[in-house]
Amino acid sequence: MGRRRRRRPDPADAARALPEAIAALSRTLPAAPSPEIFRRAKFDRPEAAPALWRLLFRVLSPLPADGALASLALEAQARWVKSALRSQGYPRRALVQLPDEGSQGGRELLLALAWLLARGPLPERLLTQSHVRLGDEMPVCEALASPGLPAPGVEAEGCVDIRHLQWLTGKLRLRWRNLMAGQQEQCALLGKIHSYTRGCHSDRSLGHLSVTETELLRDPEGGRQLLQLLETENARLEAALEWRRRELVFWQWMDTVLDACSPEDSPPMFLPRIPEPEAGVAGLLARELQALQEELREAAEARRAAWQATVGGHGPEWRAARRALQAAVAQDLAALQRSWEQDEGRARPHGPHRLVRTEARVPGGPGLRAAEVTEALRAREACLEAVLCQLQGQCRQELARLAGARPGLIWVPPPTR
Amino acid sequence: MLPAECSRRLVAELRDALDSCAERQRQLEQSLRVSRRLLRVWEPAETPAPEPTLGPEINEEAPSSACPPSPQDLKELELLTQALEKAVRVRKGLSKAGEGVKVPSLKSGSASTATKASAPPSTSRCTGSRAPETKPPRGVHHPWVPAKDLPGHRLLLVGDGAHMGQGAGANKTEAGLRDQQIVPQAASQVPEAFTLKDKGALLRLPEAFRKAASQNARLWAQLSSMQTGDSADAAAAAATAKTQFLQKMQTAAGLPGSMLSTAEVGRLQKACSMLRLRMREELTQGFTQEARGYFTPLAGAWEKQPWVVSPVLAAVVEQPQGLWAEGAPRAALPCGGGADPVWSPQLLLYSSTQELQTLAALRLRVAMLDQQVHLEKVLMAELLPLLREQEPLGRPWLALCRAAHCLLCEGGQHFLTVLQDESADRLSPP
Repeated sequence: MGRRRRRRPDPADAARALPEAIAALSRTLPAAPSPEIFRRAKFDRPEAAPALWRLLFRVLSPLPADGALASLALEAQARWVKSALRSQGYPRRALVQLPDEGSQGGRELLLALAWLLARGPLPERLLTQSHVRLGDEMPVCEALASPGLPAPGVEAEGCVDIRHLQWLTGKLRLRWRNLMAGQQEQCALLGKIHSYTRGCHSDRSLGHLSVTETELLRDPEGGRQLLQLLETENARLEAALEWRRRELVFWQWMDTVLDACSPEDSPPMFLPRIPEPEAGVAGLLARELQALQEELREAAEARRAAWQATVGGHGPEWRAARRALQAAVAQDLAALQRSWEQDEGRARPHGPHRLVRTEARVPGGPGLRAAEVTEALRAREACLEAVLCQLQGQCRQELARLAGARPGLIWVPPPTR
Repeated sequence: MLPAECSRRLVAELRDALDSCAERQRQLEQSLRVSRRLLRVWEPAETPAPEPTLGPEINEEAPSSACPPSPQDLKELELLTQALEKAVRVRKGLSKAGEGVKVPSLKSGSASTATKASAPPSTSRCTGSRAPETKPPRGVHHPWVPAKDLPGHRLLLVGDGAHMGQGAGANKTEAGLRDQQIVPQAASQVPEAFTLKDKGALLRLPEAFRKAASQNARLWAQLSSMQTGDSADAAAAAATAKTQFLQKMQTAAGLPGSMLSTAEVGRLQKACSMLRLRMREELTQGFTQEARGYFTPLAGAWEKQPWVVSPVLAAVVEQPQGLWAEGAPRAALPCGGGADPVWSPQLLLYSSTQELQTLAALRLRVAMLDQQVHLEKVLMAELLPLLREQEPLGRPWLALCRAAHCLLCEGGQHFLTVLQDESADRLSPP
């Protein structure tokens, strides 16, 4: 769209505002349909639905859009979108009830898109995800990145022997070892490339080229492609800025769309599938917390009984002692809470950082220092090792208890290394 | 054998772990390929793209200082660029046509030199390293081929402000360019090969790329400032409109309210680990210390802690039904709970390869431990109930118990031995 800046309010402007806002949205979202589709969706026209299903799929999938995902059939994409939206807490049931083959429901899909847009900075997040990385990136904190989509074709295998699990665990260990060895080599190579290209970068704060930049010099064709990607991203960024400037009129329009929908019945007639109560990470977490609470109660009971036996009886001294203890507990918990909040509030660096090799020891300069990150990682390593150790200990106890029930057996633990 | 459901879940988890490892490996191998190739000799056919940068920007350590180019220089550069672009086109046509095709002359004046440069493309590529005997193939393959007529050889690189192009137009422009201070890097040799080690410091990024990159940075900064410090009326109005829209959606809703987001789950997991560790500390302290005997009030107080047992969590613990969507994508858990939505340039400074390697190794180790802890919890959740339920009847149970011990307590690495007391039989070999 043009960058005409009209200062005086113009009735024609108002009429143009909505299409321009939608056009900006369409330009900034990846794989977005044309603005016309949005308009048709309001009126629930059938041609709008497939395009919007695909857009929602693209927007919701955490993985970059490559061939494998994009080629999933519309039906599969629709099902996945429904599941993803539900897991995010999407409130409208009408969407869940849309047919999977994807030919209906343009208006509902438009509402879903608007819901996602309203909840958070969606265009910005998408742009960050697909941002062209020019540097050698190293993520500072490591997240358990697991594929969001259930891998197709890996279906129920029936019963397996526990030895299969042992084999898989061994395979996993080996993969990690290989990974670590490869990583060391890569670091050595990076170090060389960075030091050989010292002084080449136009940006003085960087100083040297990254692999991507050096590669584009080595391979002009690749360089052209990279340039094209950059320019596309720039166009999308500009569209995002324009969207932010114009979005108010879009929300006013969405209000009318919502009003056009028939209200939903309140009692849910049925849920498409009964969800597994213990499914997923959150289920594990719930059980863990319950277990912790149990443990705490047990330990507390034992302690309380022993304590009362030791201290004994009632009386003013006992009451005073108890009060003192309660005060100590309150203090301790407050300290725990403070350290928790501190942890949360501290702006911890997230995400990938660009590696820069430098001799400079400017303390206040921008950027993280490797030494600091190493320290933080060591602390995290120690913490995780402690947790793992403790869990393993718990298992040992439990298994010993179970095995102890069976007399006549001697359990010889493996020799400690 | 394990029951079907249990098997399916456990295998799925382990496969997930294996897949994520494999994905990292794939990415790593790709990076390794690229890096190794960069450190080898750069093939002449793949030399840096011609780039008319302005002014002589040659240096080794000194910062570049581009003096404003004269119109003469610009014109000559323009001619050179055109010649080179044509050369690239010709080269493309050549490589398609196969070997032994004569290089057509670009300018009439150097037909002889052109024909001499008809060395087949394959040969020139093979002689990546020095081949002083063969005449260097002309600019079709070698943008910085020194013109043979020049006394001494000059090796010009990208960003130096000029290129020795096709032998053909080179002579004319060569004379003009001789005036410029083009510092030869390799003194009197003709190392046609380019290695990053020797000449990496002379590279310069293309102008178009630099422009695009700086515009990119500028746009991101704009977007970021719009995100954070925005008090403009339009933004505030949009924010209220959005909140109202969401509320309207919610009230017209047919499904229960919001569930735990992945960020919240991440935070709660962290809280859980913290509490667990703290509890461990307390429990291992000797009870003899009076000051540590406050567990009872602690237990009572903990149950009421709002910051841990948030309303959402309370709901989670008490009514797990209906809150989880089946097949919910198990998205990546960001480490602190929510990455910044708008990208901003963040640097990580390191000073030696050793430092970088330590950092990378630690990072992987933390990721591996994270995965191990998760798998341990999953295995515990599946295997322990199985063992508890089954009657310890005989060999199958014992075998399961032993294998479970190996998996759960030794990370799958060591086995214990089970001996039966009454007879001389041993149930399982060490």
